[in-house]
Amino acid sequence: MATSMAATLAASLPAVQAAPAPTVSSYEALPASMSKVIDIEAQIPITRVQIDALVLTKITKHGQEAKSNNAAGLLLGLDLDGTLEVSNSFPLPTSQQAGDEEDKSTKFSGDDNCDAARYQASMLRALKEVQVDDNVVGFYQTISLGAYLLPSIKDMQAVHQEKLRHGGVVVVHDVTQSSRGIASFRAFRLTKNFTDVQRKGKFNSQNLVEHGLTFSSVFEEIPVEVRKSALLNAFLGGLKEARLEPDFSPRSALGVKEVRTLGSKYGVLDLNGPGQVNRNLEQVIERLDEYKTEEGNVAYLTRQSAREKARAELYVQKRKEENAARVAQGLAPLPEEDVSRLFKIPGEPSRLESMLLLGQIDGYTRSLAVASSDVLVKTYATRSSTPL
Amino acid sequence: MPLGSSSSAIYLQTSALGSSANPGRALPTVTVHPVALFSILDHFLRRTDSQDRVIGTLIGTRNENEVEVRNCFAVLHSETSEQVAVDIEYHHSMFELHHRVNPKEVIVGWYSTGSNLNTYSALIQNFYSQETAPHQAVHLAMETGLQEGTQVGVKAYVSSPLGVYPKAENCVFIPIPLELRFREAERSTLDLLTSPHSPLAPLTDLDVLSETLQSVSAMIDRVLAYVRSVLAGEVEGDAAVGRYLLDTLNTSVKGMDSGLNSHLQDTLMVSYLANLVRSQVEVSSRLALVT
Repeated sequence: MATSMAATLAASLPAVQAAPAPTVSSYEALPASMSKVIDIEAQIPITRVQIDALVLTKITKHGQEAKSNNAAGLLLGLDLDGTLEVSNSFPLPTSQQAGDEEDKSTKFSGDDNCDAARYQASMLRALKEVQVDDNVVGFYQTISLGAYLLPSIKDMQAVHQEKLRHGGVVVVHDVTQSSRGIASFRAFRLTKNFTDVQRKGKFNSQNLVEHGLTFSSVFEEIPVEVRKSALLNAFLGGLKEARLEPDFSPRSALGVKEVRTLGSKYGVLDLNGPGQVNRNLEQVIERLDEYKTEEGNVAYLTRQSAREKARAELYVQKRKEENAARVAQGLAPLPEEDVSRLFKIPGEPSRLESMLLLGQIDGYTRSLAVASSDVLVKTYATRSSTPL
Repeated sequence: MPLGSSSSAIYLQTSALGSSANPGRALPTVTVHPVALFSILDHFLRRTDSQDRVIGTLIGTRNENEVEVRNCFAVLHSETSEQVAVDIEYHHSMFELHHRVNPKEVIVGWYSTGSNLNTYSALIQNFYSQETAPHQAVHLAMETGLQEGTQVGVKAYVSSPLGVYPKAENCVFIPIPLELRFREAERSTLDLLTSPHSPLAPLTDLDVLSETLQSVSAMIDRVLAYVRSVLAGEVEGDAAVGRYLLDTLNTSVKGMDSGLNSHLQDTLMVSYLANLVRSQVEVSSRLALVT
């Protein structure tokens, strides 16, 4: 069946290029069960992201190693019938590391971009040789304190949007959540509204209003699922199996059959809650300050733009009056000059920056609210059980 | 924590081990990061039909007397009845790529699947010893448990030359202790992977909390059942358990109340503030659309 499928695919490919309309008919040769699944044109929208256990651990490890700065990498995999299966990933060198490398050796000369592209290409080629999926489906980024709307994510995703099937996804992993004992993985993709505005190239208020774009509609979330291969499952099961030292009596006396070699998440019960409240609040304040500055910039630019416009209009008005007067006196009117050449009217300022900042504030406060509600639950529970 | 069934690994202080550059060195202890193990399993799943086992390079850090395997990558190789070939060029270029992302990690050894240590293993070990010189190359043998009668497990070895005249294909693999190690913050991901839910999906804060409470409650139940059975005379009481219980129950909660109250108020304040800022942000973004 596999060969016939491949043959049909191959047969249908040129037809797609020649005339996109009649492609539907060529699917009919496929078995009925498969016909729905195959989409050459990437028409089946992605509704789920399935991440392999290997990728989760890789992302977590990378995030822990690059604690302060945000770690990023590429996701490899396939999409099938609305499920994006992420089966492997590899980290990308941060620009700072690349810079260090450049200082040390003359081998990696040239700009960062070219360098990163070469790294990606050779990594993909190398992985392909050992039968790893070499199809880039998106990228991952580690964040802290829940603010995922970072400019870097948006930029990277916008680049991918053009290149990849389905526009690619971004998987976001929160490092601070993870140190609190909660594995947080979320998958996002850019919304159609955002890409439309981006294609127009201007994030002025008119475009934003037209598409109803706020920070919450830049990305849309896709549900995440975790996949374990049967082999890995067996391996983890083997790790969890009882390995009781015979001399340690308390456990055997209590009849403990299973020792959780991997898990012990009792840190979650710590009453003091996340120690990051201070940092979280600081981040909120910092972003608020930045937002205020940005607002000031936007207001200044808007005022300047309005002033220039007013001056230009005044000039045109004056010229019209003058001409009217000259016509009345029987003289030839002065030519109407090009106003735009005389006055440089600045375009309306971009609202993108302030929108992203708002999104970050939202992310920070959201994680703050969630964390504090978590502590509230625990504190109330403790208090009600304490005899007064 | 130990990996695999307890081995009869010997802890000898030998004088003629490994390279002659560090005579009298104790055997290294090896720790391995889960990511390396998972990668090996993934590589094994993606082997071609002709391959019986897969091999790859282990990279990580090396301290005084401890080797920490932090990552690994697959290496192409082929084994026939006559010869074994390892794609050295691939190995080097792949290491170069890994080195760019994580410059601190160096080659520490190699892995293979299956627990069969044969002549080819010795030859490959010889190659990797050159790569890791002057240190010893560590060999991880992962038993995937796919064959009947084998059990899942990982073992670590170092090698030592054998025979009157050292030959590359002659060596003794000496088992050394191996432990799983990862950072505390990475535990959450492993917890997620070992949790019995299906389908697996990332949990929220409260889910994790409720699960933890359930497991604590189950533990209390177990202790209670044990205490009751001791009191009823069914089981003979264990002094060690008794002392543990006494220690735990003696924990004082006095003076906790006032602290708790102020803590509660702080948290309420933070929660209020967070929600206030959030609604302001929401309003602000809506207003931007109005103008």
